[in-house]
Amino acid sequence: MIWDNTTLFSDDNPADAAFRKEVREWVDKNCPENLRDRPSRVTPPEMKPWHRKLYERGWIAPHWPKEAGGMGATLEQQLILFEEISRIGAPTPFPHGLNFFGPILIHAGTPEQKAKHCPGILSGEVTWCQGYSEAGAGSDLASLKTRAVLAGDHFIVNGHKLWTTNGHYADWMFALVRTDAEAKPRHAGISLILIDLKSPGVTVKPIKTIRGDAEFAEEFFDDVRVPRENLIGPLNGGWKLATMLLGGERFATGHPRNAAILLNRARQVARVTGADADPAFRQQLAALEIDLLAFTAYYRHGAALHGLGKVPDSMTPVMKLAAGPLAQAASEFLVQVAGPAGASLADMDIHGEAVNPAEDLFEMRRVTVGGGANEIQRGILAKRTLDLPS
Amino acid sequence: MEPILDEQQSLMRETAVRLCKDHGGPKRARALRNAATEMDVPAWMELVRSGWLSAAVSEDAGGMGKGMLDVCLALEESGRQLLMVPFAEVAAVAHILGKIGARAENQLRAIQQGLQILVPALPQEGWGNVGSALPLARSEGGQWFLDGTIKHVPFAQTAQSYFVAAKRSSRKKAGGEIMLCAVLKHLVKLHTVQNVDGSTSSELVMEGSLVEESQVMARGGEAQALLDTLRDLLAITTGAALVGVSSQALDMTLDYIKYRQQFGKALGSFQALQHRVADCFVDIELNRSLVYRVAASYDAGQGHPAMAAAVKARTSRVALSVTRDALQLHGAIGYTDEHDIGLYYKRAIALAALYGNDINQTARFSALTV
Ligand SMILES: Cc1cc2nc3c(=O)[nH]c(=O)nc-3n(C[C@H](O)[C@H](O)[C@H](O)COP(=O)(O)OP(=O)(O)OC[C@H]3O[C@@H](n4cnc5c(N)ncnc54)[C@H](O)[C@@H]3O)c2cc1C
Repeated sequence: MIWDNTTLFSDDNPADAAFRKEVREWVDKNCPENLRDRPSRVTPPEMKPWHRKLYERGWIAPHWPKEAGGMGATLEQQLILFEEISRIGAPTPFPHGLNFFGPILIHAGTPEQKAKHCPGILSGEVTWCQGYSEAGAGSDLASLKTRAVLAGDHFIVNGHKLWTTNGHYADWMFALVRTDAEAKPRHAGISLILIDLKSPGVTVKPIKTIRGDAEFAEEFFDDVRVPRENLIGPLNGGWKLATMLLGGERFATGHPRNAAILLNRARQVARVTGADADPAFRQQLAALEIDLLAFTAYYRHGAALHGLGKVPDSMTPVMKLAAGPLAQAASEFLVQVAGPAGASLADMDIHGEAVNPAEDLFEMRRVTVGGGANEIQRGILAKRTLDLPS
Repeated sequence: MEPILDEQQSLMRETAVRLCKDHGGPKRARALRNAATEMDVPAWMELVRSGWLSAAVSEDAGGMGKGMLDVCLALEESGRQLLMVPFAEVAAVAHILGKIGARAENQLRAIQQGLQILVPALPQEGWGNVGSALPLARSEGGQWFLDGTIKHVPFAQTAQSYFVAAKRSSRKKAGGEIMLCAVLKHLVKLHTVQNVDGSTSSELVMEGSLVEESQVMARGGEAQALLDTLRDLLAITTGAALVGVSSQALDMTLDYIKYRQQFGKALGSFQALQHRVADCFVDIELNRSLVYRVAASYDAGQGHPAMAAAVKARTSRVALSVTRDALQLHGAIGYTDEHDIGLYYKRAIALAALYGNDINQTARFSALTV
């Protein structure tokens, strides 16, 4: 057996194995060179041609049902696509439309809403962003204050959204807004609406991240008119839609690939920096790869249970608590393996491939904050699974 | 998460849960420790009677034809209930004997019938095994005589014989170097010490110990391959027991912090403690999946020694950290001999030290995955 930590424990049946091969060959031939193994972040305009290729091949939305224009793929096939795309260091298309909003739209949208928005999400023509967080509403998302007041056939939106990934590139935002200021509990007064970011009264400002680029943005809404038909689901019913887990979504965020890729990178860098001759390096690498192996086993176990409809509630927080810190530890290891170059803004040349350990380090910092910080996940696990009191 | 089992496997697992509950538990473990009893005979007889030592033996060889996964599920329960039996050892040996076929038939039958306990006496992975090497076997008149020392053999006093890998000292045959054989207890010298958890560790000295040709079960390449697999299986089975130890220690701690009040509240309502036990839970959950998956990989003929090393490294590491946290969250009561949580801490120490600890098995993993 060849030790390949990116496909370990995969459960390919013969049909899946054939599919994997097909995807691997196709991705290798079709992914634009400038997107592969790139140390810096890929922007939405740079992503578009690659998104389009996947769309034309019919592989852009493996998890969407066929009626909605997706593949209706099994979870195994979804994972294969995901794994084979990342195997050569190609980026996976942005998740905001395809993974976050798409499944909600398919689940709760009217036929008109679906007809209007699904095609643009699938083709990549329309860039989406997620407007949930605010200055005062992070982990405590239900305290959000951006208001949408119904006035006839329009909502009038006033407020401020923050940390919106791709906000400054996006055409549309799916946003959580307060439609009932009096509601108790607070989350019973929240609705999900779609905001065209080209509407009058919207101001978007990019925010420079710790990586030095502008990945996210903030948006100010001053009396922005949003047609009533842009409400998704019932009025004041947004919280449930936004917090429900749809299908295999959780498997996309917790995939062991981040750590696997970083550890493979550390091996390559070690050959150049001389770290690989040091037993201390090898011991530390092995400890991380053992954690990766355990997490991979857990992940595949979860995928198999998913197929049987038996995934326990604990899986989502466990995956987040395991995957994030592991990827972070791998990125910290990579920085150390690089030696002084680990602190450099310049890329390292690793056998012709550009590697930037600090970029990886910064990129991984986000995974324990975004989408429900790890401290919040621990609380969920302690209360819901371990049954501890408040 | 729950393993994915068919109906028969689920039933078997339930029998293991019941057996270990009925025959084990902290009270029983304490009594055995206090009486310096190396092995729990009634529990062992029950394991034999319910067929657990035949579970991972192929049907061709007279076993039940289940796999190491089933055995590991039972071992998890055995760890949970602190059973003091050589289950991890003998189940692994029985699996290997089943692969050998005719030459091991008698030994295997004797194990399955409860007539003998055959524990592996092999030099172990890692530190503390200097001077522990495969014994040398010389041949004289159709018999073999073994010389050598093996350290840290568990259950050596109770066993009737030892499963030994010896190096043949004959100069003529280059290829067939290793042989697997059974060595009778009364032909070796034992120096036994007690471990922190009441288990034992024996140094086994062979000085011309006789092995009849009929006790030789495999040679050469076959013997080497079986020996390698046996080492892997011991790492995996012991790892499965460690998962049970960790998991039970966490459950006891959860019970304790839900009940114990300080500052007018249950300890379990304090976030610092909630986060700590949540992390323990995550660590254990990953190990459980790892053990199931690796055992199943071996059952499917897709095992890799690095997987076995990973199991022993990580289950050891986590068992030590979880039981240590468990002790901390119990406060002073956890520091008493009287409280059961200490038994789990000590069992974790003993099992983690066996067959290569976290550091040793991590180094081995590294060597296997360059
Ligand atoms: C790179 C990046 C991209 C993002 N993209 C988007 C996006 O596209 N759309 C969007 O809506 N949002 C986005 N976010 C925002 C993200 O959802 C929030 O950062 C997250 O919900 C945490 O909120 P906060 O930043 O306000 O932190 P806070 O809630 O202020 O938390 C700060 C720290 O305190 C801890 N903490 C908070 N409450 C508790 C508690 N009760 N007990 C213990 N510890 C606690 C947290 O775990 C964290 O460590 C993004 C964030 C990042 C980093």
